[in-house]
Amino acid sequence: MSNFRYKVGPIAKCVFQTQSPRSNLWCTLMQYRFYPRPTSFPDYFQNPIFRKEDQAKLIESNELTKLAALPVKPPAAYETSSVYHDPLVSKLINHVMKMGNKKLARNLVEKAFENIKRIQIERYHLATTPEEKAKVVLNPKDILHKAVENSKPLLQLLPIKRGGITYQVPGPITEKRSLFLAIKWLLEATNDKERTIHFPEQFAWELLDAANNTGKVVKRKQDIHRQCEANRAYAHYRWQ
Amino acid sequence: MLSRNLRFLSRRYSQGVTFRTTETSPSQQNENQIGLFYTVNNDVCKQLFGHGGLPKSYMKQTKTFTETSLMVRLPALDIINCIKATDFDKPVIRYMLYGEIGAGKSLTLAHLLHYAYEDGYLIVHVPWVSEWLRRVPRHKEMSNSPTHEGLVDLPLDGAAWLLHFKMQNQVLLKKGNLKISKEYVWSKREQTPEGAPLAELIEHGITRVKYACDVIDALISEIKILSNSKQCKTFVAIDGFNTFFYPLTRLSTPTKKKVTPEEVTLTKSFMELTKNDWVNGVIILTADQLGVSQDHQESHLPKYLLYKKGFEHIDPFVPVEVGRYSEREFMSCASYYRDRLWLRGPRETEGELKLASACNPYKFMELCAPL
Amino acid sequence: MYLIFCHKSVILNKLIKMSLFIRNYKPGVAYNAQILWRFNSTTAETVKQGEDEEEFRVLDILHKKGKLQKRVNRRADIQPDRSEKMPTDQNWGNVWPGPRSFHPSSVPLPIRQGYVPKGQAPPGKKANAELMKIPNFLHLTPPVVKSQCEALKKFCTSWPKLLNSEEAIEKNYPMEIISSDYCHASPTIRNPLARIVTLRVKLSNLKLDSRARDKFLRLVGDKYDEKTDLVTLTADRCPVRKQNMDYVNYLLTACYHESWTVEDWETDKCLEDMEYYDFDLNPSKKNLVNWYLMSNNEDNNLNDEQVKNFDVSKIPNGVEYKSAVSELFNEGESDLALNKYDTSVRKLLGLPEKKIAN
Repeated sequence: MSNFRYKVGPIAKCVFQTQSPRSNLWCTLMQYRFYPRPTSFPDYFQNPIFRKEDQAKLIESNELTKLAALPVKPPAAYETSSVYHDPLVSKLINHVMKMGNKKLARNLVEKAFENIKRIQIERYHLATTPEEKAKVVLNPKDILHKAVENSKPLLQLLPIKRGGITYQVPGPITEKRSLFLAIKWLLEATNDKERTIHFPEQFAWELLDAANNTGKVVKRKQDIHRQCEANRAYAHYRWQ
Repeated sequence: MLSRNLRFLSRRYSQGVTFRTTETSPSQQNENQIGLFYTVNNDVCKQLFGHGGLPKSYMKQTKTFTETSLMVRLPALDIINCIKATDFDKPVIRYMLYGEIGAGKSLTLAHLLHYAYEDGYLIVHVPWVSEWLRRVPRHKEMSNSPTHEGLVDLPLDGAAWLLHFKMQNQVLLKKGNLKISKEYVWSKREQTPEGAPLAELIEHGITRVKYACDVIDALISEIKILSNSKQCKTFVAIDGFNTFFYPLTRLSTPTKKKVTPEEVTLTKSFMELTKNDWVNGVIILTADQLGVSQDHQESHLPKYLLYKKGFEHIDPFVPVEVGRYSEREFMSCASYYRDRLWLRGPRETEGELKLASACNPYKFMELCAPL
Repeated sequence: MYLIFCHKSVILNKLIKMSLFIRNYKPGVAYNAQILWRFNSTTAETVKQGEDEEEFRVLDILHKKGKLQKRVNRRADIQPDRSEKMPTDQNWGNVWPGPRSFHPSSVPLPIRQGYVPKGQAPPGKKANAELMKIPNFLHLTPPVVKSQCEALKKFCTSWPKLLNSEEAIEKNYPMEIISSDYCHASPTIRNPLARIVTLRVKLSNLKLDSRARDKFLRLVGDKYDEKTDLVTLTADRCPVRKQNMDYVNYLLTACYHESWTVEDWETDKCLEDMEYYDFDLNPSKKNLVNWYLMSNNEDNNLNDEQVKNFDVSKIPNGVEYKSAVSELFNEGESDLALNKYDTSVRKLLGLPEKKIAN
């Protein structure tokens, strides 16, 4: 497995993410609001800075005066400065949402978190030694972050047509696409559930499995990686 | 790992707000313990609330927290104080608990039940009236009552309730001092003779489901006689009493005619019980908005929920309001949740949650769930 | 000339060929680009040369050039406007004595009227059709109105001195009749809304006893406002205002007299029909009495009449309880009323006071 990593290094360097703290990476990814259709705000409007720590940073680096003079879009309803705001959770809720029913989507995700919490607290109480107790992660948001991290693919297969045959060529993947694929696979795995089991319960199980590096989603990611390794020979087709 | 454990411990001690009290006996609790949680023994819990009595969401919480603990709050202490000061030779006094949805009426009732159990009362507890009249699956087991003409019987519910009654009063019934005063003939071959212990009557009701509601009637009249003759003191607790006075139920006869609560025998029995023509007892009732349909849930005040008929039935009664958490109670609850690992995060969360939940206990619990 | 003619024919031929080519051009067919390019360049050159040689003749069908010379004859002896000569202290009532269409030279005001797109000034008063169309009230300026009022005063009496306050007016003239008149800037003076008549009277000014008052209120229904104690009767069912006025007066008289007549079925009034809560007639009293007798271990053989006549003050704290229950029913339920009820019941039953959180 380590061999594979070194060989793929140059292609996937752009994609390797470190164990960076939550706020920095996701902020830069998630705060970029781009709508391809014309919206009510023209392009020169700036995106809002609604987190207190970001505002503090701006004040320190003296950029606040520059921004204060520019027109700024208002923050959306889910962009709060509350302590519990997490851009990844907002993104997840958006992906779960169907037909604009944000209320239901948020409810489902919150129930899933509650289920995760209950399962983890049960495990915590069943664990006997303090070391084992310390290993149990109790915060559902931490579990979500770990699960998404573990199910993010590092490469993707691009269909490239040469001489009438479509080859699946391993290629780089952007951060955004990799995050999108991780969330999409998690939701797909959850929706292949039995009729009687509810979405939040199944979702909780999927997240716990993924955080533990087991389960369907991680398997799918590993399948992709294996296929990339197998199709290593076609990599040069990208630059023909 | 070890540092994480230390972090947990230090978090527990650095809260600064104590939320537990070691005083587990409700009769010994006083104002010093308002806002503090006390734990109920698991056996007592199973005995008292085995067949209902605590709200379902609360039961889930007890499983997660691995303990059943109740908060000592002002309305419960108020009522306990009044009970201690009553003259038991006068007719029974009725207390009515009322409040918004999620304010804590059912849990206050549970606290008072625990007190009654400790004090040795004979407990008559109806966990949730709507269960009988409004929670109707596809087909509800109903039968026409044999003794009362034109009224409808709910035999399975009656039998379930008798089982609940038996479990709550195991200790008192085993003592065997309580005897019935007259003979009851059920059919040609079945009768309960005079002087038989109460337990036998209840057993008959549980085994012969057909006669369950009649057994309940008989039981209630016996309890009244026993209380009047000072053989036992009775504690009646009914949750969702206003459902008895709501004009409709969800039941319907096989001819698709809607049944009003007055046509159900159980209603009649509990109306008899809540009259104040007997002594040596306490009656505690709750008026809950959730017991009636959505259209009639405009106000949580007792007179609106009880309708004129209900008000006149239990007039004069002592209305006791169960309100939202006060500052102290809220902080205590938040510390308890942190201790039980239900809530986590930095300090500012408490301020945010206080505003988001408006200090309503149920809303606060719901909001802490995903955090 | 001959050369030019030749050139022209050449040009014309090439033009004709070009136009034919353009007309018959089919896309997709391979045309030889070089030949086309050659065509283009020659025709452009020859056209330019043609312009230099001859002036282009402009077509003049309407003979505009001839007409430009005609002069317009205007009068030379127009007087300056009357408005320039008006002194500032003149009597305007004499200048504009009656309603008249707007006449710009008689009005010494710089008025502008009319819609124009952004940036332009509205048109002035001279020859402004809009100003002339709209009705003006230049004949009713305040000094003119004042002089008219002065002239009318000798036909009027003064306001009665004793009617100097609202209370005096209400006491002497309790009934108010309200009707509206409408005015239009159109040939007709009719308006169907002018027939509506409203009558307002305070209920306290009508002589009714309690039973009659109850009956009157039920007859009148929601035309009675409790906060201001006014009965408002509106009539618009007749086409003429006089008829509506008669009808409204008739309504008031009829309701008043009806409420005083006692019918047979009024004696059947039962507990549910009562518009207010009477403690003595309701089961609450029975409960209280029964409780009291039972707590004193007395026999309870009273029937309804005796219960009604039972003196509440015999029961300790009974009067307070009675007032609390009546308030709960009559005023409606609220936290205050409930608190009052709570304290009175606790006193009645001998329980300690309610604990308040500190």
